Amino acid sequence: MPVTLVDRLPLPNLKVYTAGSVLLLSVAVYYAISVTNDPNWRTNTTLQRQEAAVVGSDVESVISPPTVLAPVYAANDTRNLTEQVVEVMTFMMQEPLCMWSVINMAYCSLGVAGLAVQRLVFGTLRVSEAQRVKDKFWNYVFYKFIFVFGVVNVQYMDEVLLWCSWFTLLGCLHLLAQLCKDRFEYLSSSPQTARWAHARLVMLLVGILCAAAALMVAAVRWGLPAGRDTFAFMAAECALVCVPTLHVVARSVLRARDADAAGPAAYYTHLVFDSVALVTELAHVAHMVVHSNALVSMASLVLLMQLRHLLHALLARLRRHRLYTALADHMSRNYPMASKEEVEKNEDNCAICWEPMKEARKLPCAHLFHNSCLCRWVQQDASCPTCRRALSAAAPPAATLPPLPQLPPLAPLPPLPPLPADPADPAHPAPQPNHFFHFDGSRYVSWLPSFSVEVTRVRAPTAPPDASQLDAMARQVQQVFPQFTLNALASDLAQTLSPDLTVDNILAGRLLPRQHLEEPTSSVNTSVIPETATNGTSDTTTPTTTTNNSSTSSDSLDAGSSTPELASQHDEQMGESGAVQFCSSAAEREAALLRRKRHLLAAARARYLQQHQQRRQQYQQQQQFPQQQPRS
Amino acid sequence: MAGSALRRLMAEYKQLTLNPPEGIIAGPINEENFFEWEALITGPEGTCFEGGIFPAKLLFPPDYPLSPPKMQFICEMFHPNIYSDGRVCISILHAPGDDPMGYESSAERWSPVQSVEKILLSVVSMLAEPNDESGANVDAAKMWREDREQFNKIAEKLVRKTLGLPSP
Repeated sequence: MPVTLVDRLPLPNLKVYTAGSVLLLSVAVYYAISVTNDPNWRTNTTLQRQEAAVVGSDVESVISPPTVLAPVYAANDTRNLTEQVVEVMTFMMQEPLCMWSVINMAYCSLGVAGLAVQRLVFGTLRVSEAQRVKDKFWNYVFYKFIFVFGVVNVQYMDEVLLWCSWFTLLGCLHLLAQLCKDRFEYLSSSPQTARWAHARLVMLLVGILCAAAALMVAAVRWGLPAGRDTFAFMAAECALVCVPTLHVVARSVLRARDADAAGPAAYYTHLVFDSVALVTELAHVAHMVVHSNALVSMASLVLLMQLRHLLHALLARLRRHRLYTALADHMSRNYPMASKEEVEKNEDNCAICWEPMKEARKLPCAHLFHNSCLCRWVQQDASCPTCRRALSAAAPPAATLPPLPQLPPLAPLPPLPPLPADPADPAHPAPQPNHFFHFDGSRYVSWLPSFSVEVTRVRAPTAPPDASQLDAMARQVQQVFPQFTLNALASDLAQTLSPDLTVDNILAGRLLPRQHLEEPTSSVNTSVIPETATNGTSDTTTPTTTTNNSSTSSDSLDAGSSTPELASQHDEQMGESGAVQFCSSAAEREAALLRRKRHLLAAARARYLQQHQQRRQQYQQQQQFPQQQPRS
Repeated sequence: MAGSALRRLMAEYKQLTLNPPEGIIAGPINEENFFEWEALITGPEGTCFEGGIFPAKLLFPPDYPLSPPKMQFICEMFHPNIYSDGRVCISILHAPGDDPMGYESSAERWSPVQSVEKILLSVVSMLAEPNDESGANVDAAKMWREDREQFNKIAEKLVRKTLGLPSP
């Protein structure tokens, strides 16, 4: 709403503005009252106008009659209060200065009301919300300016005023709806269920809907007589407020009913609302283009640009829907839904979204995921997210479906890539020797570069390593896992050929290696991105992660206990700050995080200094007693 | 889409706050932007980075966890697997989408079952054991291979720097 912008612009703040407006209005009212106190003000003003009109006529004769008549009327002033108020109002409507101050006051009170609603429902706005409202506001002002002066082509001041007031009211509703949408998204992403905040939001949404309905009635009442075009414009504007508002209402209903956030019901709700909003806007803008008489004008150019953007957005939406249905169809054919017992037996949440599962899709490797989560993942990579087992049957559709592009607003639509020849023979999921990756940037945006990367796998000789090598590797692994026998490790290593993979197997609880874990040592020849060059080579280091973690954490625990006063201090502070709990408000969480960070840094510094001192003492002792054995 | 990313990030933040791994703190600095986190990582004990507190920035994509976050140290770093501008190069941060056919399904590439915690633990182990074949920082890799003494000295300096202590 405009109010939030007031403090960003170099304008007087709302208090000063309100005070000024009230002052202006009271002056205007005082003036009106003082004029209308005179019962024959009507004749006065009309005469004055005549006087202005008839310049150079006999001034004396024009002014004299009222001065003569005035006392006569004043003597029998029989008007009651209501009549007087009505007269004041009429006068103010006639007098341009008074009218402007009234209009100014109306805007001011709208601003105050907007601020009140904002305070009541939203509290302080988040930075991103304020930014989006600001963007939306200026965007709105721009397009409505185009509409009023480019499309409807108003000529008279009162018409401009009517359109302005209409768009002001609508604009307020638009901004509030936008705020509601942003806030709803924020609320639904927070872990706490703020019921009261949701309730207030829904109440505001209902309020917006009612106001939009009232505006619709106004459109029928006044727009219809003014012509079918005008009515269509006004109705479309109302609809454009209603649809997003209803969308948010529908989403909160879905949420209240605990529907799967990415399930088909939610998906189709989004689809319907998105497309209805886009189609309505498209029709509205197209109507504007047709209605504006001069087709070659700045206004129609802007409108055509918007039309193009909307059309692309709509097409992109429909294309996404086509991809979605194709993928959903593929998934339902190849991966069955898990049975109820299986879902119940599986206590974990969905590994992709970390939320509980009511129903799940089951992959051949027996891992369960939400249907929608899995669907989105498979578009990127045809493998099980948990065990990385290739979903070989899924390869053809995953390869044909490009990742859903986040289209820039005006980017030309890339054509669907042609179906490549079936790249994977489901019977042989073995990796192919060469990969060719081609990125054609110009298909998306004209200035994007195109490049291709060829990855050539050079298979290491698969001859089994000789026994001494295996033994050495087994010992290496045994140092970390002394509970395993050398033989067992060696036999595992004989299959994995890599201590890292064996460690991986041990950690995963399967000493028997998986069948498909044959990992050829690959050398990657790339020419373009340094990241690609490192992908292949860095693969081998990371499997050791977990072993290192366990050792480092135990080390640091030891270190912690070796400095008892530090440890106790640590505990105290943690207890005091209450950092271990997860606060409900964002500000508290931020403060707690900052506290924990400072504390970690301080503790680390203290520990470092202490160790440094110890080391120095040891060093000095060595200097003093060089015959003693040097420290390790 | 961003909604599910936010929910997941919030869940991870909660878990990292309630059960933090030793010596690791991570969370959004400003919750206005939940897609930018800061993490503090304690240098692993028994390595040349021991005792240091290394701050890093994590940038999450809107479709997280389908795509991996980007990680960048915001302190000075000298490490074979960290670019000179602080970007971290480990396989867990690489999207499987780099390989369009999905064959190179290395077990350590990014997948939605990975998490911030796992990334940070991987980075800790990367600090402990650099992979000197990966050429994110060629100078560091060379020094790590050939002049370990000098490397340790530089690391020690960095550690002191992160703790806000003057160099000896």
